[in-house]
Amino acid sequence: MKTFANSNARDFQQAVALVQQTRQQGRAASLVGGGSDLLGLVKERIVNPDVLVNLKTIRGLDQVRPSNGGVNIGGLITLDTLSRNDVIRRQYSVLAEAAETVATPQIRNVGTLAGNVCQRPWCWYFRNGFPCYKNGGNTCFSFGGENQFHAIFGGGPSYIVHPSDTAVALLALDAKFRIVGPSGERVLPAAEFFALPQQNPARENVLAADEALAEVQIPALRAGTRSTYHKIMDREAWTHAVVSAAMVLEMDKQVCRSARVVLGGVAPIPWRLPKVEQMLSGERITEALAAKAAEAALEGAKPLAKNAYKVPLTKGVVRRTLVELAARG
Amino acid sequence: MRQQKDTSVAPLKTVGHATPRIDALERVTGKAIYTNDRQLPGMLYARLLRSPHPHARIRRIDVSKALAVPGVKTILTHENCQVVWGAGGISGGLQYNDDIKKITRQRRYVFNNPLRFVGEPVAAVAAIDRHVAEEAVRLIQVDYEVLSFVLEPEEALRQEAVKIWPEGNLSLDTQNRAQPVTTRRGDVTEGFQASDFVFEDRYSTAFVHNAQMEPRSCIAHWEGDKLTLYTPTQGISNCRSDTARDLGIPPEKVQIVCQYMGGGFGNKNQNQDADLITAMLAKEAGAPVKLEFTRKDDFIGVHGRWPTVQYYKVGVTRDGLLKAIQLRGYSGMGGYRKNTGAIGGIDIYQCPHIESVIYPVYTNKTVSGNFRGPEYPQGFYGIESMMDDVAYKMKMDPVDFILKNMTRKYRDELPYTNYSLEECIRRGAEAFEWKTRWRPQPGSDPGPVKHGAGVSFMAFRSALGRSNAVIRLDAKGKYTVFVGVTDIGAGAKTTMALIAAEALEVPLSSVEVVWGDTDRCPYSVGESGSRTTIQTGYAVVQAAEALKRQIAEKGLPSGDNVLVGSASPNPTLEGKIRAAYAAHFVEVAVDTDLGHVRVTKYLAVHDSGRIMNPLTARSQIKGGALMGIGMALHEDLIYDRRNGQPLTAGFYGDRIITHRDAPEIEVIFIESDDGYGPYGAKSIGESSKVPSVAAVANAIFNAIGRRMKNLPITRDKIMGALA
Repeated sequence: MKTFANSNARDFQQAVALVQQTRQQGRAASLVGGGSDLLGLVKERIVNPDVLVNLKTIRGLDQVRPSNGGVNIGGLITLDTLSRNDVIRRQYSVLAEAAETVATPQIRNVGTLAGNVCQRPWCWYFRNGFPCYKNGGNTCFSFGGENQFHAIFGGGPSYIVHPSDTAVALLALDAKFRIVGPSGERVLPAAEFFALPQQNPARENVLAADEALAEVQIPALRAGTRSTYHKIMDREAWTHAVVSAAMVLEMDKQVCRSARVVLGGVAPIPWRLPKVEQMLSGERITEALAAKAAEAALEGAKPLAKNAYKVPLTKGVVRRTLVELAARG
Repeated sequence: MRQQKDTSVAPLKTVGHATPRIDALERVTGKAIYTNDRQLPGMLYARLLRSPHPHARIRRIDVSKALAVPGVKTILTHENCQVVWGAGGISGGLQYNDDIKKITRQRRYVFNNPLRFVGEPVAAVAAIDRHVAEEAVRLIQVDYEVLSFVLEPEEALRQEAVKIWPEGNLSLDTQNRAQPVTTRRGDVTEGFQASDFVFEDRYSTAFVHNAQMEPRSCIAHWEGDKLTLYTPTQGISNCRSDTARDLGIPPEKVQIVCQYMGGGFGNKNQNQDADLITAMLAKEAGAPVKLEFTRKDDFIGVHGRWPTVQYYKVGVTRDGLLKAIQLRGYSGMGGYRKNTGAIGGIDIYQCPHIESVIYPVYTNKTVSGNFRGPEYPQGFYGIESMMDDVAYKMKMDPVDFILKNMTRKYRDELPYTNYSLEECIRRGAEAFEWKTRWRPQPGSDPGPVKHGAGVSFMAFRSALGRSNAVIRLDAKGKYTVFVGVTDIGAGAKTTMALIAAEALEVPLSSVEVVWGDTDRCPYSVGESGSRTTIQTGYAVVQAAEALKRQIAEKGLPSGDNVLVGSASPNPTLEGKIRAAYAAHFVEVAVDTDLGHVRVTKYLAVHDSGRIMNPLTARSQIKGGALMGIGMALHEDLIYDRRNGQPLTAGFYGDRIITHRDAPEIEVIFIESDDGYGPYGAKSIGESSKVPSVAAVANAIFNAIGRRMKNLPITRDKIMGALA
């Protein structure tokens, strides 16, 4: 890795100002929270910062706080702390479950929620430094190449899959993201935060180079809501989702009042399934309905040469997660 | 020769009792010094420039900008460093020695031109710190003539394939002939004519990396004309003789130091290019140099297990008796031949007519070499899958098929020193409850989660051979054992102490072991081939006997006097074959909705002779079984066929299994003492991986009713087979 300077930030405003200043001097800056993703990227020279702006010195943004019946979660909370938080475990189990499936205990001890949501893709072409869209080039090497783990939805011109587990859960929880930039703050619904490659093939979200994700806001859930995260991995730990599903069901006895269903591992962004959600609302969730929903979930899927298995796999995940969640009383 | 006692051993006093490693505390408290922990005064740091191309010729290399960076001391390239790395590539792929050195034509230098795989060293920089060295590497300008490349062994043998070596892509043998390695017994044509049924199939295995915990690193230090190398090696003696030969200096001018090391599984055998490069940098720079590999460097720059393609043709009688086995195999050796490329396994069957024709082939992939049972896990996967399928097609229980056709004499000819293979299988089948776990109709569970059981078995060489030991007794009653072992992870230091304590009839606490330093220890065979306990352990027994004779003669030493016993035994087997035996039984659960495989039960039954230390021996069996599961289900260094680039180097990309993937592994030892080795010890370390891959694959077949013929058996392949 190349040498770099470290700059401790007092607060997010100062952090983004430091990034802006560094960039204006013609040097590269990177924000660093836990650093578990950034370190690998720097070692592989995928990113080459001259200055690291350290966010860990910012106080107070590593907690879960109640707000209007919902919760605000500081972006600097570690995945481990998040997954052990009582409120999150009780009310937003989809998020706790997603957080505890990430990587390894060591990484969860340092990795932050904001860092996980903003994690760069784990496409092997990107991580091996190929001049792909994500590395500033104009090719996606997975297309016509080794695309076993790539997108079946929303692909083109890049076919990466979004790597974050918590992002899938947060979209299912209808979260909002508080973003800090040099000219102030903005709050975006999760659905508007993630960006398809058609919009910007180099990035996975709408954050500008000098913006930072500071906080996640999750609204209150209605009584009777239950949620879960189901992640399929190619080994039992320390890998990303081949396919995952986050489901939030508002149940009235056996009947589903409303549903939010989001998939991970299948698209360049967390992939919401509005049609499936509509099919479920107002219905009793039976094996037959779950099978129908699973079929509908895969409408429009466009597998590449080596990832067609993700179609039946996703069907299986959607059907079984629905049935299991509905059966939880 | 002691009295032979087959498959039952009388207990001993020290050997055979579960004993924690004598150095466990320093290992777990961080006090143990590994190579990369060492710092020498004035030490420089080295980094390598590696080939970005699978096949290229260097037209011009310009290091002037890199040399101009303040702090850069020395740069080596193929232009100013022409050291041959003897063990790095050899005609025949055998152990490097003076005779081989003379004849071998397909030599590998530490820096080669042309370059034959992505990751091959192009240049080395030594500088005052790591960052300066890395920056300088990036400033080396190379003008490459990019050549076409070939990745798969069968493609590499086609007429139109690019020639990686002038002699062609079929690797030369020790006599520099381009011929496949052929073994014949009987006449397969006759055998197939005598068969009622003949079956044919193709199996393939992937390149899997040793993936040891400790990446390679080396420190070189010259004092006058004497070179000291601190380097992780599985054999300090071999490393010394190879390094001396490669550098053209006398062996006594080379000191190799390696005590603690973070595993190797075969990729730290002999010496490595890192040792030679670091030695040359240190010589040029006039200062100690430390070279470190990243994990990715280690994956693409050292070596792994050779990928294979195996075509089998098997003839059986109506009663399921083997008549003929024919194998045509292709092994992908990478750009250099660091090992034989053999495909082992056929010998585990008794069969009158066999023919095995193996093509060791150059490709532009990362080099293949030693990895835990070098030629067996991939070969056993092929032959044991094939035979499991033959049994299925003959409507036979695979256990019955094995019992009917297994080896009883080596190659149907030479007697084994003891024979417990049948007992391994029978006892294993009973303890595993094979009859209830194995599905007579594969895939017959209703699902979605389907269970199935698989079996595989093996014999692994446990030959005798030369090694040395010295034991010194002082007046305080302390016994110091000098043995040239390192510790690859199997606990050699502890094992040697246990054997010495037993042979000397003294408590373990009065024995100290001096190890891992060629200036302090005599020759030892090295931690490869699962030989250390057998060979060096036997030397320790003999040295203890010699010391005891001196004590009997001269009495115990007093004052500053010491007594020394030494031994250099080179025992032989007198026309017999000595082998460790095992049978592995595996149950899997395959979730057919999700393509997910989980090993739910694993039983390994081994005869490794007398067990020196049940604690470490069990760990060796479990570790090998787990590696086999990983090889069966996950590991693959995937290349992009369009550009020859490796994509999955590293623990993440290669999907090395984690603790959470590990099932409970039950180990049963059937102990024996055949009168050879120290108290009857046979090989352990490598044998446990040999049958595990096949056992897992066969269990998957039994669960889902689909034969998985290409490793690794990943989710996409399972879902594809079930679609």
